Amino acid sequence: MTTASEAPAIGLTHGGSEDTGLGHRGPESKSIVVPYGFWLFVLSDMVLFSALFASYATLAHATDGGPISNQLFDRNLVAIETIALLVSSFVCGLAMIAAKRANMIWTQGWLLVTGLLGFVFLSIELFEFAKMIGEGAGPQRSAFLSAFFTLVGCHGAHVTCGLLWIGTMMAQIWAKGFQPHIMRRLLCLSVFWHALDIIWVAIFTIVYLIGTLP
Amino acid sequence: MTERETELLNVPPGAPHSNILSETGSYIIGLALALILTGVSFWVASTSVLWGPGVAVGLVVLAIAQMGVHLVFFLHITSGPDNTNNVLALAFGVLIVFLVMIGTIWIMAHMNANMGMSPELTNLQMQH
Amino acid sequence: MFGKLTWSAIPFDQPIPLITSIVMLLVIAAVAVWVWRNGWWPHIWNEYITSTDHKHIGIMYIVLALVMLVRGFADAIMMRAQQSLAVGASQGYLPPEHYNQIFSAHGTIMIFFMAMPIVIGMMNFVVPLQLGVRDVAFPTMNNVSFWLTASGALLVNVSLFVGEFARTGWLGFPPLSEKAFSPGVGVDYYLVALQISGVGTVLTAVNFVTTILKTRAPGMSYLRMPVFCWTALASNLIMLAAFPVLTVALAELMLDRYLGFHFFTNDGGGNSMLYMNLIWVWGHPEVYILVLPAFGIYSEVASTFSGKPLFGYRSMVFATLAICIISYMVWLHHFFTMGAGADINAVFGIASMIIGIPTGVKIYNWLFTMYGGRVRFTVPMYYLIGFMLTFVVGGLTGVLLAIPPVDFVVHNSLFLVAHFHQVIIGGVVFAVMAGYTYWFPKAFGFTLDERLGKAVFWCWFIGFHLAFMPLYVLGFWGATRRMQHIPDPTWQPWLNVAFVGAVIIGLGIVLTVVQLLYSIKTRDQRRDVTGDPWDGRTLEWLTLSPPPHYNFAVLPDVHGEEAYWTRKQTAIKQDQLIEEPDYQPIEMPVNSPTGIIVAFFASLCGFAIIWYIWWLAILGLIGAFAVFVWYAWRDEHEHIIPVEEVRANARERRRIRMEHLHELSQST
Repeated sequence: MTTASEAPAIGLTHGGSEDTGLGHRGPESKSIVVPYGFWLFVLSDMVLFSALFASYATLAHATDGGPISNQLFDRNLVAIETIALLVSSFVCGLAMIAAKRANMIWTQGWLLVTGLLGFVFLSIELFEFAKMIGEGAGPQRSAFLSAFFTLVGCHGAHVTCGLLWIGTMMAQIWAKGFQPHIMRRLLCLSVFWHALDIIWVAIFTIVYLIGTLP
Repeated sequence: MTERETELLNVPPGAPHSNILSETGSYIIGLALALILTGVSFWVASTSVLWGPGVAVGLVVLAIAQMGVHLVFFLHITSGPDNTNNVLALAFGVLIVFLVMIGTIWIMAHMNANMGMSPELTNLQMQH
Repeated sequence: MFGKLTWSAIPFDQPIPLITSIVMLLVIAAVAVWVWRNGWWPHIWNEYITSTDHKHIGIMYIVLALVMLVRGFADAIMMRAQQSLAVGASQGYLPPEHYNQIFSAHGTIMIFFMAMPIVIGMMNFVVPLQLGVRDVAFPTMNNVSFWLTASGALLVNVSLFVGEFARTGWLGFPPLSEKAFSPGVGVDYYLVALQISGVGTVLTAVNFVTTILKTRAPGMSYLRMPVFCWTALASNLIMLAAFPVLTVALAELMLDRYLGFHFFTNDGGGNSMLYMNLIWVWGHPEVYILVLPAFGIYSEVASTFSGKPLFGYRSMVFATLAICIISYMVWLHHFFTMGAGADINAVFGIASMIIGIPTGVKIYNWLFTMYGGRVRFTVPMYYLIGFMLTFVVGGLTGVLLAIPPVDFVVHNSLFLVAHFHQVIIGGVVFAVMAGYTYWFPKAFGFTLDERLGKAVFWCWFIGFHLAFMPLYVLGFWGATRRMQHIPDPTWQPWLNVAFVGAVIIGLGIVLTVVQLLYSIKTRDQRRDVTGDPWDGRTLEWLTLSPPPHYNFAVLPDVHGEEAYWTRKQTAIKQDQLIEEPDYQPIEMPVNSPTGIIVAFFASLCGFAIIWYIWWLAILGLIGAFAVFVWYAWRDEHEHIIPVEEVRANARERRRIRMEHLHELSQST
């Protein structure tokens, strides 16, 4: 994504010694530094989810005589959610390809589809939550349910932030075009969106599939 | 070093950089593989063909495989020299995730076994 | 309308917090007026509050930490006084519910709002200079990180006069910290303040890992980085990996308290041991976040003031990374007694002993650095030697505690309290005082008074030992920590000695302030004209003191380890500076009020959450998000420093250096 005309990282004026042979060429350009920093943030987010998973694993059987996973989870709904999020990840990739070619219509279009699929995912999840709460299986019922709602809800909260971000990016691209800093942010957004799908793979496997084995 | 070489030596995570696959092809293959793995997961979880205790293990293996598919085909993390920092960061993250999860599960399983308390005894709510 | 907030939140009936709060508010108002009358507010707004310059952000962190040191120390001396007085029939002057808030505030403030900011401040100031670059990777985010930390500190201090603080210690263990047993706002202040500042810390970690791995001067490969930068890298990697776990533990407790969840409650299947586990998964790496940069400071001080390169550079790097990884494998030693069983205790006990080995390697390396060198006994060198004497003993008591059967005897006793204060004060505080003295001239252009500096050292060294050695003895005799009343009168003489020690430490803190004021008043006698007052070996000494905003007119070419030293020696031998480079205009990031405005909304939102003022909390969140979008919408990210200015500054620097060079070549 580096272009010849793009300014390197702040203040680099040293023109000489591109290759010292022994190690470093000087500070990397922003197009590398920014996504790398964001990648580190995403990894810290993975650690956050690992702590939530660890809590869930500890409390998965602490049902306090209340509802258990087999009674609560509908695998069909989960399958639809999973497909929605997975396809949205794919479509996000297409949006990045369009953005690289500075194609406004296709970029906005694919971003919109990404957002809509994410919205479908969230709607199903909220529906599931509301149903469970209505049946008396809300997070206050037992430790298992507290852990479930927090883990899955935290992922849903991240998806919500992602949707806000998609909306903001669509507005920014429209207003400012495909400038370098906008492209960097799009790249970060796509990394974020793919990472959320990776976490969902862990969630549907551990919580919904393994959690509901006979 | 030419500009192209400079460009290839260090790649931001998430940016496509492979010459072998076209960019769209990478996403299409990734989607197909992920769909297959998802489908297999759901099937494995509902069938009685496999030996019981092995099902959970199989599901975990499938999940890890699918995460790998995402990393390679969507996030473009490969093992090339241009990606070293990204891979190292990922390895560090995976190590921490592993330590936190396995450590917690191991410790808490022992705690619960040794320090198991009955609900009646642990209801220390103050009576208002 | 105002949730739980009523006039009764203000402690009209408790003289100590009431008077303290009034005095604090008056002092703050007086300082603000004094600054305004001198016309300094615009300068402070432009140069510090909205600054994206890592040097000024570092200074702000250190100022915040020193102010919070006073508050944390005030808590400490109150605790010591209470324990000296409340023996036998006497109940002292602090009732239990008040004493419990004080020790909780002491620990929380000292770790989160003193030690962390001061270490982060040092790394902020020094790392980009040592790497030979102009700033960190994300300068505006750096500013935001600082203000979020300050927001957390603000909330903790507000709790003194609006409401109360937590009574549950610095880690807030459930079930005591659950709603049923702590229905007041104290624990909520604690939780919200830490969550806000925790965000700032994770952003700092992202910033510094990126900076160190991706932005260094040309030619500075990994094995040519100064050791302080390696320890900063390790520390920030731990920060990145550990703080999310803290966030989860505190968030789960908040969900229990606010929404009636059952993570850690006694009923509903909750498991309070899970909290212990998660909080210590964070808590142990946290102390390495603090101590690794301290080790880095010692490495710099050892080599500079011995006049020798650091002994065993590669083993230092390896030891640092080993500590970084192993720090994540020992956390259970904080709760050996909770019941995991012998097998798990053994594994974690052995790991806790293993982690002492790389630290031992470092101690030997520092000793061998000094051996055969021309050691200059400046104030930083005093702290290095004091550290070696103090920290090693603290580490030994740590290895002792790592043996589970021993820990069963002294867990949560004053022995433990003595151990961790020994390693933190001997390790982190001494290092920070050394670093403060060492880098002060770089920041402000003049050195601190040496005699007062040595007096401060002796106050800390003697005061620390008097204050904490008796606690080891008392711990063995069965004294638990956090006691508001002392049951055994034979303990009183020891506690009195400890109180005297605390007073001497207090004298040291007062003298630090005196030293600063006196040094400012007499600064012309100790000007740092050349920028290199200590005959340094790393790149920060290449610049004048203080450096220009952009640090270097041209990023230095690095040709070996000890980048600056080799360059300096070559210049001395040849009696000339390197060829004048081709100057270019320099792009630097613009200032930004984003940080302080986001922190304002975060504080508002946090305060609202604590007091259940829901409409205000939502307003705060929307405000923070709006600021973020407004910031993201800006078009001007950088301003350009014209080449004439760069050239003029650089030539002035070269002129001064040439004079200095002639002096040096004539004396060698």
